[in-house]
Amino acid sequence: MQTNRRQIFAALLAAAAARQVIGADGTAIPGKRPMILHNDRPEDLETPVKYFDNWVTPVDAFFVRQHIPRPAAIDAAAYRLNITGLVSKPLQVKLADLEKLPQHTLPATLECTGNGRAFYTPKLPGIQWGRGAVGNAEWSGPRLGDVLKLAGVDTAARFLEIDGADTPVMQTPDFVRSMPMEKALHPATLLALKMNGQSPDIHGFPARLIVPGWDGTSWVKWVVRLTPVAKESGGFFMNPGYRYPKYNLPPGTPARSAELEVIEGMPVKSTLTAPEDQSNAVLGAIAIRGFAWAGENAVERVEVSTDGGARWQNAQLSAQKLPFAWRLFTLNWTPQEPGYYTIMSRATDTAGRVQPIVPPWNPSGYLWNGIDRVGVTVEKV
Amino acid sequence: MTRTVLLWLAFALAAGAADQATIAQGQKQEQRTCLPCHSLRIVHTNRLSRAGWNKELDKMAGWGAKYTDRDALLEYLVATYGDAKPVAPPEMTADGRK
Repeated sequence: MQTNRRQIFAALLAAAAARQVIGADGTAIPGKRPMILHNDRPEDLETPVKYFDNWVTPVDAFFVRQHIPRPAAIDAAAYRLNITGLVSKPLQVKLADLEKLPQHTLPATLECTGNGRAFYTPKLPGIQWGRGAVGNAEWSGPRLGDVLKLAGVDTAARFLEIDGADTPVMQTPDFVRSMPMEKALHPATLLALKMNGQSPDIHGFPARLIVPGWDGTSWVKWVVRLTPVAKESGGFFMNPGYRYPKYNLPPGTPARSAELEVIEGMPVKSTLTAPEDQSNAVLGAIAIRGFAWAGENAVERVEVSTDGGARWQNAQLSAQKLPFAWRLFTLNWTPQEPGYYTIMSRATDTAGRVQPIVPPWNPSGYLWNGIDRVGVTVEKV
Repeated sequence: MTRTVLLWLAFALAAGAADQATIAQGQKQEQRTCLPCHSLRIVHTNRLSRAGWNKELDKMAGWGAKYTDRDALLEYLVATYGDAKPVAPPEMTADGRK
């Protein structure tokens, strides 16, 4: 028994070490363009901002965040979604049953709760995301409310617990989340079977939760269980994970656990995609580009500064003024003189929220939404 | 005077050697303890203070990490990935499209 356990452990270690070597030597993730590699196993991949040219982010460029290893390939025919808990009849729903429900398509921006963690000082543990743990896709599938209706939700249910097919390693916690029933039954909350009209693949095939305007942690992948419950359920990824201080803290100080709240809607934010940070440009017309999003609201305005924030001017926004989805912005800029310029962007949403200069430091490095900035050196030819 | 300097030098060298041995031991501990669950890039891309690494080791112990030499692992992490160490530029994956 002891020998077997040792053998298993040695084999595990060897496999892990082999994978690590491959990772350091340039892992290719099936179906993905070259991405910024934050972790090999489980895969955590960031989108380089230069890929963000379109309103819809292609699946092959979309960021990947995994807390625990991906589940083994799911057979669509064998797949079952279990609806349990406070329902009138517990059910096992097939993929074909989900496909028979009315299908809806919603463009929505998905952002990792920790996007921008690397910008906080003092530094924080976790994946050191820069600007690219975000993307905007068109998600299609039945409303989550229509799926739950199949089993009949009891009126005593106040929250919905959601579990994916991914399973933890050793004693790491399972990735289980819950959300208020009000958000679960919102007409924009979907169980997506398609992403940009394609299979979601690594992004949660065959069914992935779409919780528009909320942090990425709420968008559970590979959904296999929905359980209406009376109280918010526990588990590490609800508490203490993914909580945010109710009151702002001095940087570097711990939070009182009683004063941590579950993260729901996301803040207003903009990101510059061109020019590239610390790049050189030729004196002449230069296109400043980026995108802005605002959780459950739409983006009202994006202002750009080319002089380090002394003066600001409105950028041109793409037509789609929608809740949940980002807008692209552009500003054609013609500097008159060569030199180094600090370009900044600042978004305002339809509720009047404005991107801050200094986002509140918090012990897990969530929700970075500071005014974005890049530096460019303009040279005469 | 010369003897004092020599003694001090010998002591400093011994202390340095001990530190290096501890750090090497810590690196071995990292391989044994961390790799069964995840690759090491997620560790090596962080830059944390001693208190920060200590807290991470406690968190991982709660999730089943077993340390035979926790002190050495902590010394290795602080010496190699402390908050004053520069951050390496990120690596890119290879193209995975067919």
